[in-house]
Amino acid sequence: MRRFVLLSALFAALGAAAAQEPIVIGVNLELSGRMTVTGNDTLNGIRVAHMQQDEVLGRPIELSICDNASTPEGSIACANRFVDEGAVAVLGTYASSHSIPAAGVLQDAGVVMVSTGSTNPATTQVGDFIFRIPYTDQFQGRVAAQWAWNEGHGERVAIFRQQDDDYSVGLSGFFQEALEEMGGQTIVLDFTANTVDFSAQINDLRSFDPTMIYYTGFCAEAATLIPQVRQQGFDVPILGGDASDDAQCPEGGGQAFDGYTFTSFGEPEVLSGEAAERATAFGEVYREQYPDAGFTGFVLAGADAYKVVVAAIEAAGSDDPAAVRDALMQLENFPGVSGEITFVGTDGTPANRVMGLYAYAVADDGSWEKVVIRGIQLE
Amino acid sequence: MTTPAHAATPHGPSRRGAGLARRLAPWSAAAVVAALAVWRMLYLHGVNDNFNAAFFAGAVVRSLQLGSLYALIALGYTMVYGIIRLINFAHGEVFMVGAFAAYFLFSATPYPWPVAVLVAAVVAYGFLRFLGFFRVLGRPVVLAAASSCFVAVALALASVRLGWLGAMVASMFVTGVLGMAIDRVAYKPLRGAPRNSMLITAIAVSFFLQNFGLLAFSNRQTPFRPQSFFTGQLTFPVAGETVFTTWMVVLVPAVTLVLVLVLTTLVTRTRLGRAMRATSQDAETARMMGVDVDRVISSTFLLGSMLAAAAAVMWGMSFGSINQPAIFGVLPGIKAFAAAVIGGIGSLPGAVIGGVLLGFLENFLTALFPRVGSFSGITEYKDTFAFLAMILILLLRPSGIVGEDLSEKV
Repeated sequence: MRRFVLLSALFAALGAAAAQEPIVIGVNLELSGRMTVTGNDTLNGIRVAHMQQDEVLGRPIELSICDNASTPEGSIACANRFVDEGAVAVLGTYASSHSIPAAGVLQDAGVVMVSTGSTNPATTQVGDFIFRIPYTDQFQGRVAAQWAWNEGHGERVAIFRQQDDDYSVGLSGFFQEALEEMGGQTIVLDFTANTVDFSAQINDLRSFDPTMIYYTGFCAEAATLIPQVRQQGFDVPILGGDASDDAQCPEGGGQAFDGYTFTSFGEPEVLSGEAAERATAFGEVYREQYPDAGFTGFVLAGADAYKVVVAAIEAAGSDDPAAVRDALMQLENFPGVSGEITFVGTDGTPANRVMGLYAYAVADDGSWEKVVIRGIQLE
Repeated sequence: MTTPAHAATPHGPSRRGAGLARRLAPWSAAAVVAALAVWRMLYLHGVNDNFNAAFFAGAVVRSLQLGSLYALIALGYTMVYGIIRLINFAHGEVFMVGAFAAYFLFSATPYPWPVAVLVAAVVAYGFLRFLGFFRVLGRPVVLAAASSCFVAVALALASVRLGWLGAMVASMFVTGVLGMAIDRVAYKPLRGAPRNSMLITAIAVSFFLQNFGLLAFSNRQTPFRPQSFFTGQLTFPVAGETVFTTWMVVLVPAVTLVLVLVLTTLVTRTRLGRAMRATSQDAETARMMGVDVDRVISSTFLLGSMLAAAAAVMWGMSFGSINQPAIFGVLPGIKAFAAAVIGGIGSLPGAVIGGVLLGFLENFLTALFPRVGSFSGITEYKDTFAFLAMILILLLRPSGIVGEDLSEKV
């Protein structure tokens, strides 16, 4: 009898220890390197969401943060680390070229992944463990082409494409397809990461005589490309993809970015109804925590990646990745800060995402602001 | 002096003919290339009106601008190689430090007067030491030069539009000192060691500086736009059409020319320059003749690093922003190294010729083969030209374009 009491006490103690054992959620982001600004903003969003709810099923949640240094190799190294740590789920990455390789590793290991920023359709097609928060580039490319055509700039569009990046290549292709369907002409001008001198690419623009320029790369290159395009006498409108939604663009490129228009993740101003209220309320908490950091749609996407994973763990009642995956697949109208999130019947890309159309306004002294034009929703 | 011996051989006349052909070969090759280029330009103009004289003139000035920058960096590689037969792989990172040092110096301009005077005093002291190092001029002249340097830098730093110039001069000194420090810490202890050890150390220094830059400087795209007349737009007409560029296409080659002339004067006209040339020929003998070889090596690093810093400042102003320190110096550095090899590593004119040639390969060649109709152009491959040219040179003429022909030295 005494032995039984002792044993049951021991089991109770073990049970309590198990209950206190933290649930590990990995964060795989671009915290240094080319995409450091967006990576850190996203991390801040995740941190604020974690602050708001830091335990589930009576167990604390531990964020394991890994810097992929804005490289595919770094992203794979991070994914392997999370597998070793026994993480339930991994949040991130921002860039598709980092998400896709990490998705391969995590799918094989059976760990849930929720990308905060990858818009290339291929990411969620890697397998059933892979989800994302944003829309895909099929949508973004078509919306961009529609905008170009409706604004009367779509006749001859030159696309600047970063040929060694999955996101840029994908988005360029979808845009090209959509615009050519409408009757516009396109050419693609390729460059590689870290190009500084774009004289040769701009030479190629001459014979084409573009009516608009579409830029699908990132800000590390845009910051030198756009000023060079302007200096060489091209004053046509320039439209960018969501990778242009980065303070490094107007900061690094200055005046040349005045009037630069781009599509990107939804912010409180372009959301509607309750989603807008949730996003605004979240924005207030965020600004209190990180008064100097940027508040973009990537922050909201980061927060939502965390929120859906926590909600799925709660719904599954366990931290088994397969159960969490099943719970995520059942997620319907989850009240996220970036809009309602529904994974039912999708390949891991939420339905009905809201995209925003924005522009930079840069003053003579180099100070700049992001102007919201309007929100766009997939019908 | 070998003529009599050769004249006696039965192959005399044919050998002389071969010599003439060899002398004429480069010129005829250049003429053929030029003719082909002109033919290509005329053809392109026939295809599309936009490929007019202004288009090619723009490509020429931009090639010259980029080529000058490569030339300045390449000089650092070639000087160090000439003196201690070391390929200084850390040179690209020295270039990076030059850019960021200048950025921090000018981003606060115009300085308040006391700060400007303080910085100028430091620079003038450096200048004084620099002149003393080379023992070029008499004492009164040195003092006059140093004090005018002091006044000029102070004025530049306190002004709005010339802040970049003050920052450039100050950054050249900071970076020059860094170059000397690298030599003192990393290379000097290995003077007698096998050459491979030094090469490995050079790579280690390069990685160290990359990571140091990552921690010490900014991690994000950094604007490099000092208020300056030269970064403003420059348009000029060519054959009725307009060329769009910035004033940097004038400034960069001009500053490069001045710096190369100063460098040539130092190397050919001063005691230290003579010591440098002696050391590069035979360090041991030079030492026996009383040349302070360590001092010569130190000053080589100083000069090379100063030129790299000047290139870095003009690089930043040309392209408007500088990026992550870990990679900023890598590609320019390695391309300039290729330029030094193409021109003939160890040769000063070779570095300049190689650099300018590389500028033309990257910009003018792509302008000759642009995207036209269904032909997608060669722009995608422009970064490989430097290395392709380097491989070709190493295969066909290992000593480079103007390098001494080793086969004749025997």
